[in-house]
Amino acid sequence: MSDEFDEIQGIFFEECSEGLAVAEEGLSAMASGDVSPDVIAGVFRAVHSIKGGSGAFGHNALLGFSHRFENVLDGVRAGRIEPTDDICQVLLNAFDILSDHVAAAQSGSEPPADDDMLHRLDMILEGPSAGAAPAPAAPAPAPEPASDEFGFVPVAAQVEDFDPFGFEPVAVAIDDLVPAPEPAGWMVRFAPSRGAMANGSEPLLVVRELESMGARITGVDREKLPSLAELDPEESYLVWDLALPASVEEQDIRDCFDFVAPDSKVDIEKEEAVVVPSADVLPFDLPTLGAAEPVALETIAAPAEASPTVVALDLPKGSEAAKPAAKAKAQGGGESGQTIRVDLSKLDQLLNLVGELVIRGSILSDRLSPADQERVELPELSRLTRQIQDNVMSLRAQPIRQAFSRVPRMLRDLMAETGKKVILETTGETTEVDKGVIEKIGDPLTHMIRNAVDHGIESAEERLAAGKPEEGTIYLSAEQKGARIIVRIRDDGRGINRARVLAKAVERGIVPAEASLSDEEIDALICAPGFSTAETISNISGRGVGMDVVRSNVEALGGRLEITSVPGEGTTFTMALPLTLAILDGMIVRLAEQRFVLPLTNVIETVQPEPGQVQATSPSTEVIELRGKYLPVRRVGEMFGMGSSRPPEESLVIIVENESSGHVGLMVDTIDNRREVVIKSLEDNLHPIRGLGGATILGDGAIALILDIDALVSANGVGGKYAVKGMAA
Amino acid sequence: MSKLILTVDDSATIRMLLKTALSAQGFRIESANDGAHGLERMREVKPDLLITDINMPKMDGFELIEALRGEAEFKATPILVLSTEFSDEKKARAREAGATGWITKPFDADKLGAAIRRVCP
Repeated sequence: MSDEFDEIQGIFFEECSEGLAVAEEGLSAMASGDVSPDVIAGVFRAVHSIKGGSGAFGHNALLGFSHRFENVLDGVRAGRIEPTDDICQVLLNAFDILSDHVAAAQSGSEPPADDDMLHRLDMILEGPSAGAAPAPAAPAPAPEPASDEFGFVPVAAQVEDFDPFGFEPVAVAIDDLVPAPEPAGWMVRFAPSRGAMANGSEPLLVVRELESMGARITGVDREKLPSLAELDPEESYLVWDLALPASVEEQDIRDCFDFVAPDSKVDIEKEEAVVVPSADVLPFDLPTLGAAEPVALETIAAPAEASPTVVALDLPKGSEAAKPAAKAKAQGGGESGQTIRVDLSKLDQLLNLVGELVIRGSILSDRLSPADQERVELPELSRLTRQIQDNVMSLRAQPIRQAFSRVPRMLRDLMAETGKKVILETTGETTEVDKGVIEKIGDPLTHMIRNAVDHGIESAEERLAAGKPEEGTIYLSAEQKGARIIVRIRDDGRGINRARVLAKAVERGIVPAEASLSDEEIDALICAPGFSTAETISNISGRGVGMDVVRSNVEALGGRLEITSVPGEGTTFTMALPLTLAILDGMIVRLAEQRFVLPLTNVIETVQPEPGQVQATSPSTEVIELRGKYLPVRRVGEMFGMGSSRPPEESLVIIVENESSGHVGLMVDTIDNRREVVIKSLEDNLHPIRGLGGATILGDGAIALILDIDALVSANGVGGKYAVKGMAA
Repeated sequence: MSKLILTVDDSATIRMLLKTALSAQGFRIESANDGAHGLERMREVKPDLLITDINMPKMDGFELIEALRGEAEFKATPILVLSTEFSDEKKARAREAGATGWITKPFDADKLGAAIRRVCP
């Protein structure tokens, strides 16, 4: 049980974090004026679910806080509380404390101080708009213990209590008899209302249960029982009198009436001396108690007896299964498939195995002749493998919305802090990315947004003076391009001040004073270790983390960070992230007899240069003339310091396309073949090396390094230049 | 044959808790994750008893109960509401919709079992 309990608690915390993300997104939307019922209901449900689970695990502080928070949200939902800007701000702050509560419950640490916030929430609840009609949850049936050591725990007081429908009105004030001597027994009169058999209730069951506690029926009043012709089998007509021994607890008797219709009549009285009658006193035998009851029983029993069908677990296609939270949010979007929660490590293991399968497939295709491959149906096997691989990868995919959802909130805080006005425009939130990637881009994303507000967007005055709208805009977008997810953070601010950046870099010894750098190289400097243009560390952005950390985080993910900036028009940070950390289509190329994998994603064509087609334009740069155009050419072997490569006419030039650099030619010695490879990360074994994206195992068991095309073609290349010096670190 | 119960709750935590607690008491458990899904599953598994949450996406507990009571097959199936809410207003609404009983979360496993046996012996 305890293992199960821990496991369920794990699910609970997972749901908490999903709920928090939903709540944060919704609250931010509310704060920016979207107070549609769907948004409010979403926030309410998220907090409500956190509360619901917290009680089950005894997280009382969390329970108490989420309960009060929920009350206010309920008021907003019901229209009793108007979500003004001020109230939204309080709700956002309350959200922060809720997050802290969840974190504290999860780590078992001290819950956060929430007295002040609880007070503010109460103020809202009691506020003028709620004055006329107090929130219904406020007069909770639970006695409100002002505050015990865990704070306010209204629901916990309910824990042990069943909360029957309308039980209270029928309760007899037994306490009136308190001074009476020890009773000899209980007298119970039970008069089910006419409609007591509606709603799946069955009054006879109450009688049966009382009997099981030792009750004897002392009388049945059938005065209201109509003639058979007039009898409605779905109505109740009888009144029972029962006697119970004194040893039975009153509460146990009351419990039996938990689910009795509220307009039924129940009297429970203590009797000095109860005569427990023998069976022959009964007016007639219970089983033949008139037509009404047995007939009603039949109608209840019939459907229940229908053989229950066990339905096979219908595991929906791929990604659907992995994102219950997202699905819950997609109101009415798509049919509700059944979902199943799976331990992430199991998926990873599956992914790994699929990877191995792909490698085995490669080995087979290496060793078998094309004819043999056909004979053993290897192509079919490869196709299936590819499908399994796609499916497994989609299991791990989640909409990037999860990472984006905290941005609006953060922007709001930033605006309050800096006094700048910023509008956020988001596109592509539904783009699906590997869960591991989503988890890790949160911090870099946060930092880049901070950076954009702190350094990019100008003050309102400065903007107006520059002829720009008073409000700055940050565009946040995600899209899938080939095997990469491109996340862009673009601002329409002042752009990078290159003179200042260069001066600072020289001052900090990052580049030599005499260096002449291109604009791109200067822009890239802001990601150099130890570089920070922020003269004062602002309250919000300054956590001692610079863009260099952002960059290395992105690179550790197998991603790449690019910066482009136009003075006066703004700056764009582009993160190119791997869609998955798993498998890619590659070309096996040779450089100085060593094999490398060149990802096929960006490859446009390959060219066997004619003599003279590749020309030097300077001692260090070459171009290839291709159909009347000149494209830059890079000798990959030389870039890696693997000695001078062959003359161009004995080499091959692979034309690749790159986001920022357009078409570039990469010169390699030869091309072996094309192959799917399983990406093995380098990060644990080798320091991230610019220009290398990972390693793989080839069909013959040899290890080959995977080239990072974007790094190869980018202005910085892979080695030699100043700007690169510290960047690989 | 032990009783078959369908639990409907959008929280996986609650679904798991119910399944664990009630399986241990000999009930067979099926579950669904929102009202619309619950309606679908009711028609498929035809359980002896339904335990449903109120606040759920797509179709809330009230709507689910109303829809079920509108179907002859489920007219007499006991339906227990399991909710963190406990206002009389909500309970009255559930009763009106056709719920058999109301249990407040968090629940005590033994008491829940007793309540189930009370409406579905």
